[in-house]
Amino acid sequence: MVAYLVQRLILALLTVWAISVLAFVIIQLPPGDYITSYIAQMSASGGAVSEQEADALRQEYGLDKPMLVQYFRWMKQVVQGRFGMALEWRRPVSEVIGDRLWLTMVVSVAAILLTWLLALPIGIYSAVRQYSPGDYLATFIGFIGLAVPSFMLALVLMYLGFRYFNMSIGGLFSDEFVEAPWSLAKTWDLMKHLPLPALILGLAGTAQLIRIMRANLLDELRKPYVMTARARGVSERRVILKYPVRVALNPFASTIGYLLPYVVSGSIIVSLVLSLPTVGPLLLKALVAQDMFLAGTIVLLLGVLTVVGTFLSDLLLLWIDPRIRMEGKR
Amino acid sequence: MATTPRRKGPSRREFIRDAALLTGGLAATGLGSRAIAQGQGSAPPKLGAQLIGKLEGPELILDPAKWPTKFSEAPMLAELVKQGKLPPVTERIPKEPLVIKPVHEIGRYGGTWRRGFTGPGDQENGNRIVSADKLLFWEYTGTQHRPCVARQWLLADDGKSITLYLRKGHKWSDGKPFTADDFVFWYEDIYLNKDLVPTPHPDFMINGKSGVVKKIDETTVIFEFPEPNYLFLDILAGSTAMGGGQALWQMAGRTMGAYTPAHYVKQFHPKYIGLDQANAKAKAANFDGWVAYIKNRWDWTLNPELPVLTPWKVVTPINNPTWAMERNPFFYEVDTAGNQLPYIDRIQMTVAENLEVLNLRAVAGQYDLQERHTAMTKLPVFLENRDKVGYDVRLDPALNGSDATLQVNHSYEADAEVAKWLHTADFRRALSMGIDRDQLNETFWLGIGTPGSVAPADSTPFNPGPEWRKKWSTLDVKQSNTLLDKIGLSKKDGEGYRLRADGKGRLRIELLTSAGAFIPHSQVAEMIKEQWKKIGIQADVKEVERSLFFTRIRANEHQIAIWANDGTELLYLFPRHGLPVDPAESLLGTPLAVWYASGGKQGKAPDDTPLLKAMDLFRSANGKRAPERVKIAQEIFKIMIDGQYSIGTVGQSPATMGVRIASRKMGNMASRQINAQHCRTPGTSQPSTYYFKA
Repeated sequence: MVAYLVQRLILALLTVWAISVLAFVIIQLPPGDYITSYIAQMSASGGAVSEQEADALRQEYGLDKPMLVQYFRWMKQVVQGRFGMALEWRRPVSEVIGDRLWLTMVVSVAAILLTWLLALPIGIYSAVRQYSPGDYLATFIGFIGLAVPSFMLALVLMYLGFRYFNMSIGGLFSDEFVEAPWSLAKTWDLMKHLPLPALILGLAGTAQLIRIMRANLLDELRKPYVMTARARGVSERRVILKYPVRVALNPFASTIGYLLPYVVSGSIIVSLVLSLPTVGPLLLKALVAQDMFLAGTIVLLLGVLTVVGTFLSDLLLLWIDPRIRMEGKR
Repeated sequence: MATTPRRKGPSRREFIRDAALLTGGLAATGLGSRAIAQGQGSAPPKLGAQLIGKLEGPELILDPAKWPTKFSEAPMLAELVKQGKLPPVTERIPKEPLVIKPVHEIGRYGGTWRRGFTGPGDQENGNRIVSADKLLFWEYTGTQHRPCVARQWLLADDGKSITLYLRKGHKWSDGKPFTADDFVFWYEDIYLNKDLVPTPHPDFMINGKSGVVKKIDETTVIFEFPEPNYLFLDILAGSTAMGGGQALWQMAGRTMGAYTPAHYVKQFHPKYIGLDQANAKAKAANFDGWVAYIKNRWDWTLNPELPVLTPWKVVTPINNPTWAMERNPFFYEVDTAGNQLPYIDRIQMTVAENLEVLNLRAVAGQYDLQERHTAMTKLPVFLENRDKVGYDVRLDPALNGSDATLQVNHSYEADAEVAKWLHTADFRRALSMGIDRDQLNETFWLGIGTPGSVAPADSTPFNPGPEWRKKWSTLDVKQSNTLLDKIGLSKKDGEGYRLRADGKGRLRIELLTSAGAFIPHSQVAEMIKEQWKKIGIQADVKEVERSLFFTRIRANEHQIAIWANDGTELLYLFPRHGLPVDPAESLLGTPLAVWYASGGKQGKAPDDTPLLKAMDLFRSANGKRAPERVKIAQEIFKIMIDGQYSIGTVGQSPATMGVRIASRKMGNMASRQINAQHCRTPGTSQPSTYYFKA
């Protein structure tokens, strides 16, 4: 068991390293660099940047060095935990991301919890009462949820929220709390802003999960062990929840690996539309501005989260599914 | 079938009609401010006209006899004075303050002005509001020079020098005196330092020779040039590297601005503390070297400690979710009643991750005054909610001729056949006459814009005359086709598109557009592509990200690029959208601009006589006096329009920073303000005089 864990750990580290190289190289592939986007930005305020000035700036930011040198300079700072300077923000990357990471977690965990709270019961109901009016209703709403792009839903809900409920637009805090230190009032303000983004982020996932749960459970319900359990007089509730549901949960556990990075980046467009102060919009802007230290760090972070997530889901599967446990002992 | 069901509510058709009134109604007016002036007809005033008011603005009181003698200050500062933390107001304002008569009335102190910005790259959002730190400026009409930081100027008769007279007792925001030494320090230790300014700046040069700055006494500075440079007065008033002010020209890594707080900046400069110490300071603050660090320290958007001359100074830097500014207790302006400006205590900008959110927040009344990033296409929604939320919508049309200009690359050579046609005047004229500008205007400008050539607004001095608005710039499919047939493009393929003369199939012209402009350039290009079908020209629209757009232009790869021609109304200060003379950005051909800027040593000379003449005229103008310069500029516009070197579509519209959403609580809002880069809109409207009504 320990050997297995160590082996997984070494593999994980190698994967993360490979991701860091790929991230850095891919971000630098498109023509131009941060200085070209800086020039474009300066020309918007009526300034011209001459070739000599541009070269001086490249030198200042170390962008004139070969990619390998730049990569090692970045790696050195990654190891020190500073992750380099976010060029457009002119602050260390760790600060820029750090502010937003926690809020990202809060929004995403809320969205995931909401998804599960809605999807699992509805999925179970749909499977157990297959082809009942309730099942049809859930299916209908589910398909609409799948079909409507969530950014559009966000725009529509935001406008309706303003038009009929006078809700404030976007963001996670009211103006007066954005810069305020954490307090009970600020937390309450966050709670008030949370439902809309959580709902929008969660809705598409909910529809998908309902369908998966329904299909998985339907497979299980037809198996002989369910019939046996019923024949032995186990209560209906127990028959369903104790065995088939548990088996049907398997696919969820194995996809947790993807859930973690989704938590950070899967919602870029929705976060952008809702103006959430999360990591997603930051990644998009960093890519547009060709800020490879910021973008590289976020991609690296996503990579690490995927690796950690996969590792966790392996463990979770061991725990949920006795069959896998038995295999390990054999 | 005997009874018709009773109708409940409006039918679909009615609904559509109502909606059309809201959007198309604006379009139908064709912006009749002129029609109203002529008092035509009994029809009710059109919506577009209602939204464009009379040009008005604050006035300066320059006669000391009319100045107030008693001064007062904001309550928040009075409190600090009482606690002994600030000197009294009479000691904080200069002995010769700038006295301003607000556009409507004397305001009252207090309040926080809420706005939206889009992130750390949106410095312009604040730069323009604090632009009162410019050396000279323009009257609210945008045509006359006026004092600003400098109280007076003297242009020498021979044009070889300009003397600036500063205000006695003028102080930086930290209370230290602002003097001629701050200019000398900037010139000697920043401008002449090769690490900070690798090449001399064109705004401080005449015919390739750089100027000098000298101190005459504490409050007198002189700028001297080896050759006559009459234009330098405009440069000091314009949004240029010499006259644009400290805030704008020392942010985001810039090094110009003509003056800087010497007493503060010295502590980071190697000449004063030694190279080792300067680098050590930078390292301690996590910067690679002293150059990066000093540029960070003198960036007003980032450093709350930096001494400034602006009405507000930053308290929360721009790289935070909120960008906040607070009043400068040493600001040099007072109103006619002797109240030190600004009236408003704080400015708080909140970040909006995208423009939809920003516009929706403006609709919801979450901003007190917003004219940046508010989109003209959102006008119907703005109007629908203005009474419910309580704001006014004002449109401030710009002065430039075309918000979506087809900038032809006159040094294009990658495809010899295409290059040949792009360099043919009749081909460009035909393209221009194949564009239905009215359709573009109705669709993308809600009918508010003015269709026509690239000529600036009729009210501006460089306008060559009203007949040049329409020259080669109205829809004439017949003449367009005749021209194209005549120049040798008469062969067509099965679908009616013209064929290349070299036998390599259909002639295709690429229209390069950039995403994220104030007017949707790509959609405009798509419509032009449709319109050009009638003249048998196949256009390919290629949209790229903004920095790639400029990269391709620098690499001389584009055929026709679409961009606004903003700034051309003051051609000499901002020529890059009108003539290929600025290598940093030349949509009309980068090699030509390199040729021009290098005095013919590098790049490529234009092979086109009229264009060469326009560039020569432009070069000759700097040393000429103002009236001659105006004539030359008109001449240049005539050449550029006659040859259709850049093809204008629709302009003089509020598309760029001209949709003003102002809360009805805000006072001293001009009903119309000049909307132009050189006026730093809303700079000439003096944001320091804005206030919140009780």
